[in-house]
Amino acid sequence: MILMATEDVLSIRDWVRVATDFISENTIGMSRHWEYTDSVSYFLMEFIMCVMVFGGIMTTLLVLLWMERKLLGRFMDRRGARTSLRSLWVGENGVTAGEWWNQLPFGTGVPVGMLNKFLNEVAGNDHELEVVSRVKNRSYHGVWWLLPGFFQNLADGMKFLTKEHMVPEKADRYVFEIAPFLIIATTVMCFTFIPLSPNFYSNDSEMSILFLMAVFSVAPLGVFFAGWSSNNKYTLLGGIRSAAQLTAYEIPLLVTVLSVVVLSGSFNLIEVIEFQADSGVWNIFLLPLGGVLFLVVMVAEVERIPFDMPEAEAELVEGWWTEYGGMRWGLMFASEYLRTYAACLLFAHFFLGGWEAPLEDTIPYIHYVPHILWVFLKAWFMFIFFVWFRAALHRVRTDQILEFGWRWLLPLSLVNLAMATALRLWVYDGINGEWPLLIPILITSISLALFILLSVDEDPEALEAQTRPFSVQTVDVASPGQHRE
Amino acid sequence: MAYHKHATPNFRNLIVRPMWITLKAALRTIPIIGRSKFLQSHGTSKPYHGQETNLLSDAEREMYTAQAHPVIGQTYAPDRETTELFPHFERPVTVMYPYERLEEMEPWLFVPGNYNGRIGVIWETCTACKACVRICPNDCLHMETETRVNVLDMTEEGDEHHGFGVELEVGGIAARRLEGSEEAAANFQLSTAHEAPPEEYEFGEVINLTGDTISVRWNASGTVEDVEAGDVVGAEVDIVSGRIDLGRCMFCGLCMESCPFNSFFMTNEYDGMSGFTREDLWFEADRTRVLPVQHAEAVDIELAKRADQARKKAEKAAAKAAKSEA
Repeated sequence: MILMATEDVLSIRDWVRVATDFISENTIGMSRHWEYTDSVSYFLMEFIMCVMVFGGIMTTLLVLLWMERKLLGRFMDRRGARTSLRSLWVGENGVTAGEWWNQLPFGTGVPVGMLNKFLNEVAGNDHELEVVSRVKNRSYHGVWWLLPGFFQNLADGMKFLTKEHMVPEKADRYVFEIAPFLIIATTVMCFTFIPLSPNFYSNDSEMSILFLMAVFSVAPLGVFFAGWSSNNKYTLLGGIRSAAQLTAYEIPLLVTVLSVVVLSGSFNLIEVIEFQADSGVWNIFLLPLGGVLFLVVMVAEVERIPFDMPEAEAELVEGWWTEYGGMRWGLMFASEYLRTYAACLLFAHFFLGGWEAPLEDTIPYIHYVPHILWVFLKAWFMFIFFVWFRAALHRVRTDQILEFGWRWLLPLSLVNLAMATALRLWVYDGINGEWPLLIPILITSISLALFILLSVDEDPEALEAQTRPFSVQTVDVASPGQHRE
Repeated sequence: MAYHKHATPNFRNLIVRPMWITLKAALRTIPIIGRSKFLQSHGTSKPYHGQETNLLSDAEREMYTAQAHPVIGQTYAPDRETTELFPHFERPVTVMYPYERLEEMEPWLFVPGNYNGRIGVIWETCTACKACVRICPNDCLHMETETRVNVLDMTEEGDEHHGFGVELEVGGIAARRLEGSEEAAANFQLSTAHEAPPEEYEFGEVINLTGDTISVRWNASGTVEDVEAGDVVGAEVDIVSGRIDLGRCMFCGLCMESCPFNSFFMTNEYDGMSGFTREDLWFEADRTRVLPVQHAEAVDIELAKRADQARKKAEKAAAKAAKSEA
């Protein structure tokens, strides 16, 4: 059996539908309200799918945070301490963190204590050296150091949950409280319209991209609310910067998305993915410029380095969220990463063929890999770029960000839109459904050549006139006790 | 404006190069790929940011590559450590200094010769002029000297070694036994005394040696007196203790510069400058000792200088003697 692009070995939505049909037929269907059976079943299925999608996103968000920690250290050649939740159950030197489970009431901590004992036996530190060494990034690190770092995020979450919620005395209280809700709610709502696989999505609407972009663009308002209402000059500066930057980058973002929409001929995200699967070529090979633009603009939209002026730690304490603490801060932090995650997923869907496996028609039996895996793999792969930018590039000044946005990204996105339109009108509409391979190969090779040309670009005059600003001294091996004049 | 080729603000230097460098750094941490020659800076002809270096001499480089020294193939840290579970994942480890030494781990890192390290004194050529003590801004040098008669001069007249101690010379120090000093010394009980032992000698500067008598300006009174040659003996300034408080030292090296006799050094050694108490940092003379063989050059210079002075003096004396004979 050869599965079509829209089919999946994991047809989760169908299974849920079967389950909800069964449930509603055996409950509502038996009652006098039997005519609402289908509606109740559909509502149940949508509800369960929403919860499952949200749960899947929130669970795999931990992967993103874990990647950020691990990758950044490797990119920056600075792998640091890996303390984690493990310290709660392992403790140091067999002390087991004060045996806190004995403080729990009614002996509920006994299984925790037993678990601790077991874990200590399996992967515990039998020597203080391991803990000290792990903290100091030195010497022997015990047997488990790869996995536990993953749960550092859980430990952070527990910390945020237990922290006190404080509102500054002279803050605009209502706006201050509303802002996180606005940011977090709209961020979470984005995932309503992002499918994770052909059978794992919560919504399949005709205008999903439009709605998605609209929802995605509400958060800057919340950011400005937060910056203004905190009654703090740093937050205000951060909020103003954020507002200027995000509104400036909305336009190239929308135009770039529009180019994808024009090329694929649909505002439905699922249809965009199906277009790439059916026409045989991923959009990145047709619109490489669009892919680069989308990535750059998204880095600015989620306020990550190099475009993180709104929360520049060096000058504004923590930017527009300086005054927030506790779980509100934690959730806004999470929503920051959720927006990044959404950006990665959207890149995968717009440009990397969504859930379609690479070389799906060429590699045998690759259809049987669950499609949701490809979506996550592509999104995580795109997140590598976000971390990479963060490790490599420096923070850009606010006016340079805006100048870059208005003077470069906006015209380039218009060029990209024109290219997409030309491709759609004069190439795709003249053929029957599949791109001839010549077109993506030509476009990709020309783009690569341009990139290489740009990369080796140097100013020959400056090179000729260059003087070494540093002195070069030949160093000999020193003999102890000999002083050179 | 002329830019260095790595400082020109273009796409290559602002975006491509940093991303390339970080990518290489990340790839280096991957077990097998990271070992590839392409990512390694060691073993290439331009290991230092694309520039040539000549930190190791050829002989040393051969030596280290021949023994498969642990530093060969390391990625970015002085030493590498692995875990039991993942022996291919490496991580840096601090040099455990007293037991391992940096110059053994990383032979291309050395202590520069002009590094101001532990203080060292060639006590053999020190003349106790105290120039270093006077110039020390932190007052961390302590040198105690004492004017005293050489033991050989304190012997009875007619004794075998009598008179071989210090020669009397103009500008030198003359000592005369105080009246009743022998009696006072005999009565002095060290175990019950609450004061310093009584002085046995008074000291003065020799002004004139030419006649039968010797003109001496006594230090205590300041008066010049002609004394019989047999009444005085020569004396000298001896170092009683030389202590350096390294806890106060800021290693400015002014003491080294002020020394007119090439005897005072800031060595480039960094060991042995720690202790568990403050008192451990009070270096007595024996801990600041530098052997003349290690500073043969400086000792040679100083000895040549002194020999030159002695030769000039002898020539002068000979000329004077010839003149007086004539």
